Amino acid sequence: MDYGEAPGSCMTQETLQQTTDREMMARIGHRDQSAFSTLYDRLSGPLYSLAMKMLGDPAEAQDALQDVFLQIWSRAGTYDPEQSSVFSWAVLLTRSRVIDRLRARGRRLRVVAGSTEDEEHGTTDASTVESAADTAEKSDEATRVRYVLTNLPSEQREAIEMAFFEHLTHQEIAARLGQPLGTIKARIRRGLLKLREHLHT
Amino acid sequence: MISEEQQDQAALYALRLLDADEHAAFESELKGNNELRDLVRELREAAGHLALTTPSLLPPASLKQRIMREIAPQQVVPIPSPQRASFGWIPWAIAAGLALFCGLLAVDRARLERQLSDVRAVDPLMQTTFYTLAPSAPAPADAKATVAWQPGRQSGVIRISNLPAPEAGKDYQLWAVDAEHKDPISAGIVRVDKNGVAQIRFSPVEKAEHVKAFAISLEREGGVPKKEGPILLVGST
Repeated sequence: MDYGEAPGSCMTQETLQQTTDREMMARIGHRDQSAFSTLYDRLSGPLYSLAMKMLGDPAEAQDALQDVFLQIWSRAGTYDPEQSSVFSWAVLLTRSRVIDRLRARGRRLRVVAGSTEDEEHGTTDASTVESAADTAEKSDEATRVRYVLTNLPSEQREAIEMAFFEHLTHQEIAARLGQPLGTIKARIRRGLLKLREHLHT
Repeated sequence: MISEEQQDQAALYALRLLDADEHAAFESELKGNNELRDLVRELREAAGHLALTTPSLLPPASLKQRIMREIAPQQVVPIPSPQRASFGWIPWAIAAGLALFCGLLAVDRARLERQLSDVRAVDPLMQTTFYTLAPSAPAPADAKATVAWQPGRQSGVIRISNLPAPEAGKDYQLWAVDAEHKDPISAGIVRVDKNGVAQIRFSPVEKAEHVKAFAISLEREGGVPKKEGPILLVGST
């Protein structure tokens, strides 16, 4: 698995990775199981990690991941590279499926981990913490994104995390933080734009 | 030039936070605005990368096996024609007489059994085992459930009826009781509708190749890794 790039060489590496992913998706669209298996190996770690953070339950996270990959298998032909990279598409698909599950159960979102700074120490029972075989590139990428996120102004980071991981609407975030709606929209916008900007440099 | 308001909407759109009307309106706006589309794409990428800030975990290897089994093409084995299977021996039986007739019957039966076994190996319906779950206190006496279980695929479907929704803070959880596991294996949360009915597809979290029974218990909301609460429905084949 290698989702990322060494700091300072972001776009070139990312483009190569995205090209590979697009080729995989095209092959999966033609029912190529080996391509599907390769893409699973590449994506399952980050997608499972996301599902675990949002659901907090290994069994549910695995069910959600199964839904996502079966959907990737059945919908590979409809993937549009103009809309997003395969990675982001799969991440947002996973988030949607997790939110569907939480809504269906009618219970509140439960974010398991605490702050992003100490997330490396988060644990689960049956899950396997990613091994040392994890590539240096992916670690670099995760470190980079975490660095960018943690260096956002705290109110922007807070709004983005509440929106992304807890799927609170801007209205709900405004109500929870006791801030005007326009302020919350601006925080989300500024934070996401900064994240984009740093990922491009 | 993209206005600040458009940027606001683009960020909320990328995070899928717009309501249905806003979503539709923004998509209309996107159609005629390449610059805005590019911004949305980049914001989506930024949002996607947020997944990398989560604790790094890997799913168990059994999950990949489960998924690969799901996508594997189903083999189709032609079922032998009943006429050929049933009557192919008749000319021989007539010609050879009663003794030979009895011998051929034995041979034919063995052949049919082999064919049936072959079909069972590849036909999901033939692999399905049914379990009937009966209520035990404190479940209502008319509560019931049926499980159709396919061990080869490690998945099944449960249909529940007459089981009222659990109290707040509780969930029903399905368990597979497997001969090779000390504890029941969780097969997930099952949620009934207002009529006490549910039909849910499930897969146990661990491989269960020798399931003796299925059971439903009342657990804490969100479920538990190991059964804690009372059994409401239980049954074997």
